[in-house]
Amino acid sequence: MMVNARNSEASSGTARWLVGAVVVVALFALPFILSQLGRTGEYWIWVTTEMLIMALFAMSLNLILGYGGMVSFGHAAFFGVGAYTVALLMKKAGAPLVLALALAPVTAAIAAAVIGWFCVRLIGLYFAILTLAFGQLLYMVVFQWYTFTGGDDGIHGIPKPEILTPIAYYLLCLVLFLICFLVMRMIMNSSFGLTIRTIRENMERAKFIGVNVRRFQWYNFILAGAFAGLAGGLLCELNRFAQTEFLHWSKSAEPILASLVGGMYSLVGPAIGSAVLIFLKIIVQQAHPSLVETWAIFLGLILLVVVLFAPGGLVGLYQRLTGKSET
Amino acid sequence: MADHVLQIEKLSKSFEGSQVFNNISFAVDQGELSSIIGPNGAGKTTLFNLMTGYHVPDSGRVVFMGKDIAGRQPYDIVRLGIARAFQRTNIFPRMSVLENLVSTVITKNRGNLNVVTPSAKLKSAHERSYEILESVGLADVAHRQSGTLAHGNQKRLDIAVALALEPQLLLLDEPTAGMSPEERWQTVELVQQLWENLKITMLFIEHDMDIVFKISQKVRVLCYRTLLAEGTPEEISSNEQVIEAYLGEEV
Ligand SMILES: Nc1ncnc2c1ncn2[C@@H]1O[C@H](COP(=O)(O)OP(=O)(O)OP(=O)(O)O)[C@@H](O)[C@H]1O
Ligand SMILES: [Mg+2]
Repeated sequence: MMVNARNSEASSGTARWLVGAVVVVALFALPFILSQLGRTGEYWIWVTTEMLIMALFAMSLNLILGYGGMVSFGHAAFFGVGAYTVALLMKKAGAPLVLALALAPVTAAIAAAVIGWFCVRLIGLYFAILTLAFGQLLYMVVFQWYTFTGGDDGIHGIPKPEILTPIAYYLLCLVLFLICFLVMRMIMNSSFGLTIRTIRENMERAKFIGVNVRRFQWYNFILAGAFAGLAGGLLCELNRFAQTEFLHWSKSAEPILASLVGGMYSLVGPAIGSAVLIFLKIIVQQAHPSLVETWAIFLGLILLVVVLFAPGGLVGLYQRLTGKSET
Repeated sequence: MADHVLQIEKLSKSFEGSQVFNNISFAVDQGELSSIIGPNGAGKTTLFNLMTGYHVPDSGRVVFMGKDIAGRQPYDIVRLGIARAFQRTNIFPRMSVLENLVSTVITKNRGNLNVVTPSAKLKSAHERSYEILESVGLADVAHRQSGTLAHGNQKRLDIAVALALEPQLLLLDEPTAGMSPEERWQTVELVQQLWENLKITMLFIEHDMDIVFKISQKVRVLCYRTLLAEGTPEEISSNEQVIEAYLGEEV
């Protein structure tokens, strides 16, 4: 009985690795296939690059949302800090892209450390509101500080290294995405990750097994902020601009929606959710330009369907259909 | 002095102006198995809450192994050596029975900051967890999701989690609550067995007088906002005040 369980566990493990390998190979091949399609292909390379970046952003939030059980409405703050770090370093200080991208998660982590230090003192709705308040505070600072951040105009014309063709940049984002995915997976499977889950499952009991709950929530918050910062930096270079919208609360909503749609009790769920939402949005827009205005209605319908029929998101649905369940 | 694990000194606690108890003092000897009884709402759980950092007393001291721990953080007190099982089961319901234990063992060993090793591959933590699960008779259901266990087994798991912390002082809040008579006596046997094997100090809250009188070396009665009486089962069961106030016709 136990041996059987082990065997099927092992075989489902291999199956998972196989699926993963196929997906990764496909992701690497994708831009080369798309580049055969001319203008449309170029556009879709750009879109899929954005998908990778926003998927990373969604996964970063999910460290605190799905794994940590903390709803943050201010996660865009760290995305924005990462974006502005790259923009300012490259545009104003002439730093190379590699250095700028390496520092984006660092500055974002520092911002998350400061903001998180206050926020983890609160729980539930109060935590959520405080993250929102800090996020909007940072947004206002960037908005008002015209001489440094360009205010409402943002920072445009971020230099782009010669060798970074759209395909090369896609591949860079893909490699970073995969590294981040593996690192997050390692962390969430570790003792640290287990501790984070005990806090989500029963914060009270976690205290009484000796967990310094606030401290671990804080560490996790910083971690999530750092990954969000990298995502922000990558999007900044893709668009070659940084703008205040990156820090706006509506940006914070995106990874929450992606997590809901994709499923927040797995690492890939939010990434899938994010890609699906971006894809659907483009489909709607291309169906008819006037439908852009109605995207919010579509989004509402999608969420309604998810909440009613697939509360575990797409990943939960898949697990139900294949008869597997995540812990 | 030295052989008192715990001393409660002039402890008072009230909630929003209504006093739960006032000026309670007693001491718990090293290695003793004793109980606290009293009517519903007497403040028994509140007393545990004050000992474990869940609540801060209005005044008074909780001295554990020579240190005043009143008002310290729960995780801090756990590390000093007090663990508790709860009146209302308090486990990690969507984690497996084994994971409940493994996460506790990891925390006990201060290994929570390991971000590299998969927790499922921590051999010694798993071995230790199985050892504890065996000692409470839950090894068979190690891979079950803990929230799906029968009530009695969830209570046992709660105790197992507390044991994994290797406490000096173990507090059990109504360990047999909600169990069938048969389960109750199994649990009582378990408690007594653990106490004999581990040689730790145990303090339990219990409503069933048969159980209380059978296994306690000392009984403390919480009633009328004070410690009404303290003594051996024989002393308590024949104490006029206690009979009048609490035991009534029961005995
Ligand atoms: N957090 C709290 N806030 C306000 N009042 C509380 C709180 N905790 C306990 N009380 C009150 O303190 C009193 C003592 O409660 P406590 O739970 O300690 O009683 P108990 O002796 O454990 O009772 P039982 O045998 O029913 O478990 C009760 O009147 C209860 O309503
Ligand atoms: Mg109680």
